Amino acid sequence: MLTIFLSRLLRMVIVMLGISVITFLIFFATPGSDPAARIAGRNAAPETIAAVRHDFGLDRPLYVQYGLMMDRLFITRDLTSFANRGQKIVPTIMSAAPATLSLVAGAAILWMALGATTGIIAAAFRNRLPDKILMGASMMAVAMPVFWVGEMINLVTQSRLHDTWAFSWVPPLGYVPLTSDPAGWFFALVFPWICLALMYIGLYGRMLRTGIIETYQEDYIRTARSKGLSARRVLLKHATRTAIIPIVIMFGMDFGVLVGGAAVLTEVVFGINGVGRLTYQALKALDLPMIMATVLYASFFVVVANAIVDVLCVMIDPRMRQK
Amino acid sequence: MTSVSTDKLPPSPIGEGVSAPDGPWKRLLAGLLSSPTAVLSGIGLILILIAVLLAPLYANHVAHTDPFRSGLSAKIEVEGKTVPVMQRSTEGLGLGVTPIGPTWSGEYMLGADTQGRDVMARMLYGGRSSLLIAAASTVLTLALAAIIGVAAGYTGGLVDGVLSNLIDMMWAFPVYLLAISLSIVMIGKTFVLGPIELSSSSLIIPITIIGLVYVPYVARPVRGRVMTIKNSEFVLAARGLGVRRHRILMRHILPNVLSTLIVFAPMLTALNIVTESALSFLSVGVQAPNASWGTILQDGQSLLYSRPTVALAPGIAIMVTVLLLNLFGDVLRDVLDPKSARGR
Amino acid sequence: MDLMAISKTGRRGSALARLAITAAMIPAVVPALAQAQDAHRGGTMHLMAVASGGTLDPQINYTAQFWQLYSATYDGLVAFKKADGPESNTVVPDLAAEMPTVSADGKTYTFTLRKGVKFSNGDDVTTEDVVASLRRIFKVSSPTSGSFYNGIVGAEDCLSSPADCTLEGGVIADGTANTVTINLVAADPEFLFKLSAPHASILPKGTASKDMGNTPIPGTGTYMFTSYDANNSLTMERNPHFVEWSVDAQPEGYADTIEYKFGGTEESAVNAVMNGQADWSFDPLPADRLAELSTNATDQLHVHAQSAWWYAPMNVNISPFNDVRARQALNYAVDRNALVSVFGGPALAQPVCQILPPDFPGHEDSCIYTQDPGDTWSAPDMDKARALVAESGTKGEKVNVVTEDNAASRGVGTYLQSVLSDLGYDATVQTVSGDIQFTYIQNTNNNVQISVTQWYMDYPAASNFLNVLFGCGSFHPGSDSSINIAGFCDEEIDARMKAAMTLGATDPEAANAEWAKIDNAVMEKAPAVPLFTPRRLDLLSERVGNFEYSSLFNWLIAKSWVQ
Repeated sequence: MLTIFLSRLLRMVIVMLGISVITFLIFFATPGSDPAARIAGRNAAPETIAAVRHDFGLDRPLYVQYGLMMDRLFITRDLTSFANRGQKIVPTIMSAAPATLSLVAGAAILWMALGATTGIIAAAFRNRLPDKILMGASMMAVAMPVFWVGEMINLVTQSRLHDTWAFSWVPPLGYVPLTSDPAGWFFALVFPWICLALMYIGLYGRMLRTGIIETYQEDYIRTARSKGLSARRVLLKHATRTAIIPIVIMFGMDFGVLVGGAAVLTEVVFGINGVGRLTYQALKALDLPMIMATVLYASFFVVVANAIVDVLCVMIDPRMRQK
Repeated sequence: MTSVSTDKLPPSPIGEGVSAPDGPWKRLLAGLLSSPTAVLSGIGLILILIAVLLAPLYANHVAHTDPFRSGLSAKIEVEGKTVPVMQRSTEGLGLGVTPIGPTWSGEYMLGADTQGRDVMARMLYGGRSSLLIAAASTVLTLALAAIIGVAAGYTGGLVDGVLSNLIDMMWAFPVYLLAISLSIVMIGKTFVLGPIELSSSSLIIPITIIGLVYVPYVARPVRGRVMTIKNSEFVLAARGLGVRRHRILMRHILPNVLSTLIVFAPMLTALNIVTESALSFLSVGVQAPNASWGTILQDGQSLLYSRPTVALAPGIAIMVTVLLLNLFGDVLRDVLDPKSARGR
Repeated sequence: MDLMAISKTGRRGSALARLAITAAMIPAVVPALAQAQDAHRGGTMHLMAVASGGTLDPQINYTAQFWQLYSATYDGLVAFKKADGPESNTVVPDLAAEMPTVSADGKTYTFTLRKGVKFSNGDDVTTEDVVASLRRIFKVSSPTSGSFYNGIVGAEDCLSSPADCTLEGGVIADGTANTVTINLVAADPEFLFKLSAPHASILPKGTASKDMGNTPIPGTGTYMFTSYDANNSLTMERNPHFVEWSVDAQPEGYADTIEYKFGGTEESAVNAVMNGQADWSFDPLPADRLAELSTNATDQLHVHAQSAWWYAPMNVNISPFNDVRARQALNYAVDRNALVSVFGGPALAQPVCQILPPDFPGHEDSCIYTQDPGDTWSAPDMDKARALVAESGTKGEKVNVVTEDNAASRGVGTYLQSVLSDLGYDATVQTVSGDIQFTYIQNTNNNVQISVTQWYMDYPAASNFLNVLFGCGSFHPGSDSSINIAGFCDEEIDARMKAAMTLGATDPEAANAEWAKIDNAVMEKAPAVPLFTPRRLDLLSERVGNFEYSSLFNWLIAKSWVQ
C-alpha cells in the first residue's frame, strides 16, 4: 500500500514538474514576452531596462532563472509579480482562494442537490412527461456557454429588471468576503452560483438517471423488489446509492478542477477576484511568476483529484487494482 | 470550464472486443434511421450546415452588404426614411453611438454591430468558422488521441508510462497560456506546410489549440479500451495461435478504437463549439474582421445593454447546434455501444 | 501597465461646477464661511476599479490610476497646482517654501525647504530626505530615471550602477541654511515639470532602496495609505500630521476616508455608481451605456479634454510604409468621423490630423490630409489616396494591423483594416493583449507594420509629444522600449527639435511657434495616422460635490466632498 502511495506521489511530482518546465519554456519562446521593458515602465531608458533586467535576474541562464523562481515560490515564498511590481505572488493567491472556494463550494452544493433531484425524478418517471421535460432542460443547460448565461443574467438582474421588486436586492458585481458581511457574501454569490451550477446540474442529472435505470436491472435490485420492498424504497435506498458512486468520483474531479481556477469564465463575467480571474489576468499580462504559481496551484488540485479518484475506484471496485 | 469534462463521455466499454461482424456501417445507418431523435437532429444539423454554406448568397442578395467591411458611415432605408446605421445620441449630453437595432427585414435583420456590419450576415459566415473549427479540431483530437492511446495501450511498459504522464500533464495544462502564446507567435506570419499555406488570420490557431485541449479526454479511454482488448481471451488465444501482432492490431484493435472514436465525434464537436466561443470571448480565437459565433458574442458583449440581440443571436445558435449534436451523439452511442448505452 | 490617462486643460465646466469652485475658494478668505466648508468635512468616499494599479511605490508606479492618488498623498519640492482647468498646468512651490532661484545659465536650481512639514509617521521633512529621495529615483530604477532625471549632474553614474548612486555634485543639501541645490548638466526648461511628477516625491530618508510593493511609504500629503491589497482594496485616511501649508500645492481633503475597491466589471461599476453604491469608477465608461447615461445622469457626468492622441504609427523602415506615399495615402483615406463613432461620438472624441493635441503648447490648427486642406479635417479623400497607393506601387501587399484587445482599440483596428482593404492592400488585423501589445509594437524585431496606440502627456510641453515620439533619440532598434514606434528618424527635423528645446529655455513663445512648424514638417512625412483626441468622461454619484479636474491627475479627489 505504501509503495502504491509513494509511486502515486512521485507521479504527481513528475507531472507538476513537467508542467512548470513547459510553462517556463513556452513563456520564453513567446516573442514579446521579455518582461524587462514592461517592468521598467513606459519609455524607460536603455540603462534603466538593463538595471531592471539585472535586478530581476533576467540576464541569467534559463535554468538558473527556473531554479531561482522555484526557490522563491516554494522556499522563500517572496516571489513577486512581473506586471504589478512589488506584488507578492503567494499571498495574492492565498487571498484570492476564498473567493473561488466560496463560488465553487456553493455551486457544488447547488448542483449536487438539484442534479440528484433531477436524476431521481427523471428515473422514477422514466420515459414519461416529467422525465422528458427534465432531460430536455438538462440538455439545454449543458448546451449553453457559461459566460453567455452569465451575461444574460447580468443583463436582466443588473440592468433591465434591476429596479423591479424581483431583482432590486441584487448587489453590484464582485465578491464580498464572508467574514466581513455574511449576508452580502450570500447575495453577491447567488447568481454566480446558479450560473456555474447550471451545466453541472444537467450533466449530473442525466448521469444519475441512466445510472439508476441501469442498477434497476441488476440482479440484487430485482431480488429486493421481488422481496416486496416498495418501489420508492428501492429507488431511493438501493438504486440511487449504487448509481451515485460514479457521480461522487466525477464530482471529485470537477470540484478539483474548478477550485484550481477553471471557473475563470464565471469569475470574469461576475467580476469575482478569484484564482481563475487571477490566472486570466496574469496570462493577459504574460506575468510569468503569477502564471507559474497559478498553473501549479491549478495542477496541484487536478493531480490530487486524479489521485483521490483513482484510490476511490480501487476501493469501490477491487478488480481495477490490477491495472 | 475546461472541466466540461469528458469524464461525462462514455467510458471505454470493458469486455469483449467484438469487431462487428457483417456490414457494421449498414447496421449503424439502420440503427440511426430507426431513431426519430437521430433523424430529426440529423436533419436539423444539415439545415444549419446548408444555411451557413449559403452565407455569400444571403450577404449578396438579401442583406446587400459585405459583412467583413466596416460600415460606420453606412445608411439604410427604414420605412421610407434614410437613417444612419450608427445612430449618434442627440438627447441629453449627446454622448454615445448606438448601432441600428433589428429591422426584421432583409437588410440588418438582426441589427448592426459596433462596426456597423450586418449581424445576420455575420452570423452565417461566423457559423462557417465555428463549425469548421469545431469539426477540424475534433478530427485533430481524435487522430492524436488514437495514436497516443493505441501506442500507450498496445505497447505498454516504458512507452505507456511516458505517454500516460504526458496525458496527465496536458490535462492540467493551462489552455489559455498556449492560446495567447500561439496567437502572438503567429502574428502576421505565414506557415507553409508542404502544399498548404496557412496565414495567421486563418483559423489555424483556434483549431490547433482546441484540437490539443481534449486529447487527454479521448486518449485515456482509447488506451483503456486497447488494453482490455489486448488482454481479452480471444486476442490471447489468437496470439497463442501465432497470429502476428500487426494483424491483431489491424483486425481486432483498430476497428474497436474506431467505434470509440465515432462515439466521441459528435459530443467532441459540440464541446469544441463551446470552447471556440470561450476562446473568442477571451479574444484569443478567430481574429477580426473574420467572424465566428464566439467573436460575435464578444462584439455583443460590448452592446449588451443597448442591443442585446447581438449577444443573444450567437448564444442561441451555439445552444441549438450543441443541443442537436448531443442528441445525435446520444443515439449514435446507443447504437454503437449498446452496453454503455444501458449503463449511461 | 495602464497607459497614463493623464489629461489636460479642463474645459469649461457646468455653471454649477463653477459656482462650487467659487464657493470652495471663498472660505480661505472669509472665516464666516469656514463652517460651510466644515459641514462638508468627513464621510467616506468609495472608489472602484476593475484592477489595481500595481505597486504603491510612488517613485516606481507609472499609472494614471495611482498618480491620481499620489497627488493627495505625496509631495515633491514643487507641484502642479491642484486647481480646475488650465491653471493645473502651472507649477507651484510645494515642500519648497517658494519657487527655486535659478542661475543665469539655467543649470543650477536652489530650493529653500518649507519648515514644519511632517511625514505621516511624525518625522520632520529635512534636506536629507530630499537628497535621499532623489537618489532613490535611480536606486529603484524608476521608469523615468533615464528620461526625466538624467540631466542631473552625476545621473549618468547612477544609471550605470544604481546601487552606488550618490548624485555627487548634482544634489547638494545645506542643513543649516535648509536649502537643496540641484545642478544640471545643461539648461532644461522642462526640469520643474519633471520635478513635479510623483516619481520625484519626497520620502523619508530611511525608505528602503527597493520597490516597496504593497507596503505604504509614509508621505506628506493630506491622506496616507493605510492598507493595500492589489487584488481587493486600498484604503486612504487622513494624515494625522498634516497641516495645510498651501492650498495650491496640497489642499486639505474633505472626506475622512477614501476606500478603493478592485474587481467587478466596467458595467457593474456604472450600475454601482448609478445605484449609489459607489461614488466613482476609474475605468472608462462602457460605450453602450453612454446614450442612456447622457439623458439619465446629466448632472453626474463630467467631460474633459485630454492632452492625448490616438494614433496609428506606421513603421517607416519596412514595406509598404517605407514609402512615404503609402503613409500619406492612409492619412488621406481614414475617415476620422467614422472613428469618432467607434469611440462614442463627437462629445468624446475630436477628429485630428496633426500631432500636438488642441490647446496644447505649440498647437496651431492645421490639417493637410483632408478634402480641401486647411485648418480642420473635413472628409476623407479616397481618390487622392488611391492615386498615391498606385504611384507607390505597394498595392496588393500584405498589411497587418496590431491592436490591443479592448473594445475601442479593436474597433479602430478593424476599421483601419477595412480602409486598407479599400486601398487595395491585403489587410488583416491582429488583437494582442493590451499589456503585451505596447512593448510588442515598439520592438523592431517583431516587424509590426502598423498598430493602434495612444499617448498621454507627462507634462505640458510640445517636446513630450514630438521629440519623444518622433525623435531619433527615442528610436532603439531591437529594444522593447523604443517609443518612437514608427522608427522615424529625420536628421533635419531632429536638429530642429533640439534647437526648439534650447530656445524654450529663453523664449517659450518663439519655441512654441517653431514646434507648430515641426508638427507640420513631421506630418508631411506622415510617420503616423493621427486618429482623434479622446476626452475623459467621469461619472460621479449624486452625493459627490465639487468636481475639479487637473490636467495631470484627472479628478482631484481631495477637493470633492461626499456630505
